Amino acid sequence: MSTTTPHRERPKRAAGPAAPGVAPARNATKLGAKSRHSQRWLAWIFLAPTILGMGLFTLIPIVASVVLAFFRWDIISAPTFVGFDNFSEVVQDPTVRVSFLNTIMFVVVAVSLQLGLALALAIMVQEKMPAWLRVFFRSAFFFPLILSAASVSIFMRYLFNEQFGVVNWFLSLVGIPAVPWLTTPGGSAAVVILVYVWQNFGFSFLLFIGGLASIPVETYEAAAIDGATGWRKHLHVTLPLLSPTTLVASVMAIISALQVFDQPYVLTRGGPGDSTRTAVMVIFESAFQRLEFGQASAIGVLLTLIIMAITAAQFRLSKRFVFYQ
Amino acid sequence: MTGATNGHLREITRRTALGALGAGIIGATVASWPRLSGTDIPGRGDNSLSIAIMGTAADAAARQRAIDAFTRLHPEIRVKVQAIQAVDWKDFFTKILTMVAAGTPPDVVYVATEGAQLFAEKLAHPLDEYVRRDAADMREFFDDVHPSLVEAFMYKGSLYQLPMDWNAANMYYNTTAFAQAGLERPADDWTHMDFRNSLAAMRKARTSDFTPYYWTNRLFGGVVPWLYANDTSFLKETRSAGGEWLWDGFYANDPSRSLRSGGYQWLEPNANDDRVFESFDYLRGLVKDGLGVRPEEGGGSSLVGLFASNRIGTTPAGGYWVQGLHEAGMGANDFDVQFFPRWKTQRHQFGTAGYAIMKTAKDKDAAWEWIKFSSSREAMELIFPNPITTPARRSMVNEQLYAGKGPAHWKVFYDTLDRFPTTGPIPAPPQQAAVETALMKNVSLAVSGDERQLKQALASMQRDLELALRRQS
Repeated sequence: MSTTTPHRERPKRAAGPAAPGVAPARNATKLGAKSRHSQRWLAWIFLAPTILGMGLFTLIPIVASVVLAFFRWDIISAPTFVGFDNFSEVVQDPTVRVSFLNTIMFVVVAVSLQLGLALALAIMVQEKMPAWLRVFFRSAFFFPLILSAASVSIFMRYLFNEQFGVVNWFLSLVGIPAVPWLTTPGGSAAVVILVYVWQNFGFSFLLFIGGLASIPVETYEAAAIDGATGWRKHLHVTLPLLSPTTLVASVMAIISALQVFDQPYVLTRGGPGDSTRTAVMVIFESAFQRLEFGQASAIGVLLTLIIMAITAAQFRLSKRFVFYQ
Repeated sequence: MTGATNGHLREITRRTALGALGAGIIGATVASWPRLSGTDIPGRGDNSLSIAIMGTAADAAARQRAIDAFTRLHPEIRVKVQAIQAVDWKDFFTKILTMVAAGTPPDVVYVATEGAQLFAEKLAHPLDEYVRRDAADMREFFDDVHPSLVEAFMYKGSLYQLPMDWNAANMYYNTTAFAQAGLERPADDWTHMDFRNSLAAMRKARTSDFTPYYWTNRLFGGVVPWLYANDTSFLKETRSAGGEWLWDGFYANDPSRSLRSGGYQWLEPNANDDRVFESFDYLRGLVKDGLGVRPEEGGGSSLVGLFASNRIGTTPAGGYWVQGLHEAGMGANDFDVQFFPRWKTQRHQFGTAGYAIMKTAKDKDAAWEWIKFSSSREAMELIFPNPITTPARRSMVNEQLYAGKGPAHWKVFYDTLDRFPTTGPIPAPPQQAAVETALMKNVSLAVSGDERQLKQALASMQRDLELALRRQS
């Protein structure tokens, strides 16, 4: 909405035409200053709930979490300062290492699928569909995102059950034997990725739809005159001009995927073995199941640093690969 | 009033002065507040006895008759039951701990075996002084409750809870599936090989859309009953000294008195034991031959429906299943229950639950009055009118409770304790959450592959358990 709203003019410094003499001008300046002052207060009043909310629920927890990473605390006893012990224990813990590796693998596969699928469907919907069908698909693809991830995962758990699931029943119709989806490392990883991508690609899809709509038609016409049609048109026109949208979509998708929790927790509890255990799951287990809040905070700090590093790298790379019109 | 800025004197306006005053008042209020906690929220910090149970608002409402009866007896004590929804006991304990962290711990918590030692070690107040003080009143309760259930709540010689309900991992079987396979009711002392033969017969009779043995990957009813039957466990089980005050005071004439102790201890992992390998290998064989499922972690939510629709032949469960099967449409003779199969022993696994008084309870005497009342026959009949669990009182496990619902051999439930007095609780040390994770995450891998994968999974389980037991709970 903010992009479509025209910029408001700044209030004029002096009200009314300047009259000869000093006194009226001084009065006008005084009035302007007073108005600016009251507007500033008004702005602070409107911003206060957001600032207060951010401070209470984001900023203070972040600082507290960093501080807590240097303490051993189980909620019940008083916290004790342990320096960098939590960090060294976390780095040596094989489960934490595996969970970070799983998370990175998950990000690579899930984000690639999510962005690829979203882009392909966005192009298809934008180009091939009549307007009414376009509206339908926009809603349909976005719909899974508004569902609770836990509910979706419980539902999917039934679908992918080895003995009684609908998926295996359909496979059996074409002679494929029952697949142990949730009880083998490969199967469970595939289901977690599938469910996550299905639920999240709608957001990237909407971003791409917006990006595609902003590409001028003349550019395609010029490309067509130069002989670029079909996939070459998308390769040489759509993709470069969509790169700012792709950057935003990929940053958001990667940050979200690095924090994946609901789907693996409900679908597989991180198993079998540690095959679907993710970084945020280990944070949850450390804090709320083992009562090691210090270690959980240390893992959280490490995850935050990784997210920041990846995001910074993305923006750095964007200077080479993103084209602004 | 004036203030200096950049060498100039600046006038301080009335608005600035008032703003500074307001900020000062807020700052002083916050600084002088000892600690803001959940109890500072209006309506939360009253003096009623707050009792946390796992369940829904409907479960809390079901206790209302018991609360009313208690209030008639103790009008001076106001009781407030908080039902906390959770997937399993681990999830429930997590939420209780969150309440502790928020500064709003309940006074009394309904705790199952899975969390008994966590609470005893960190959160709960022992009941010894109260039980001793009211020994005359309590004698009738202990006379009616098997000592194995009481021992599960002993920790380092002290008693922390009174068992209210319990369930052993017996074996349920679908009588239709048995009949289709030409099987009769198994003998009381059937062996693990008899069990396997029964599964094979059911598989032969029904080749598709049917699972002869359905089991889940969790602490109760998962791999542990098989380990117990094979006279082993994934943790080394020892007992602590103490508790004579209770056993000599209430169970002096019990035939199993000599077995009793100051409580169970699980201090070391035992996943590298040969019998653990043997038990897992047996289960791996069931999976490999299509007789049993690969167990899902946290599975079991659909179990009642699948069993009631005749798609499962056998599964381990306790008396808590009866009401569910009845509501799912199973008749009294559509299913039955038998002891868990014998291997080296026929030791069963059980889980029990009861109220624990929190160390932080505002009025521990009032909390004890609630526990004492809840252990009475009158209260337990109000709380457990249906077979949603097995009541801890032997006298309540009777024909009337199972009338019209089955199973025909309901006596198996309590007989489990009498016939097999070494029957033991779910292995749950204070580090239960970490231990449970270490067990569960390796079970699926252990039973899903070849022998090499089984060995690797058990080695991994041993390492994970070592780490879990080393952790502070």
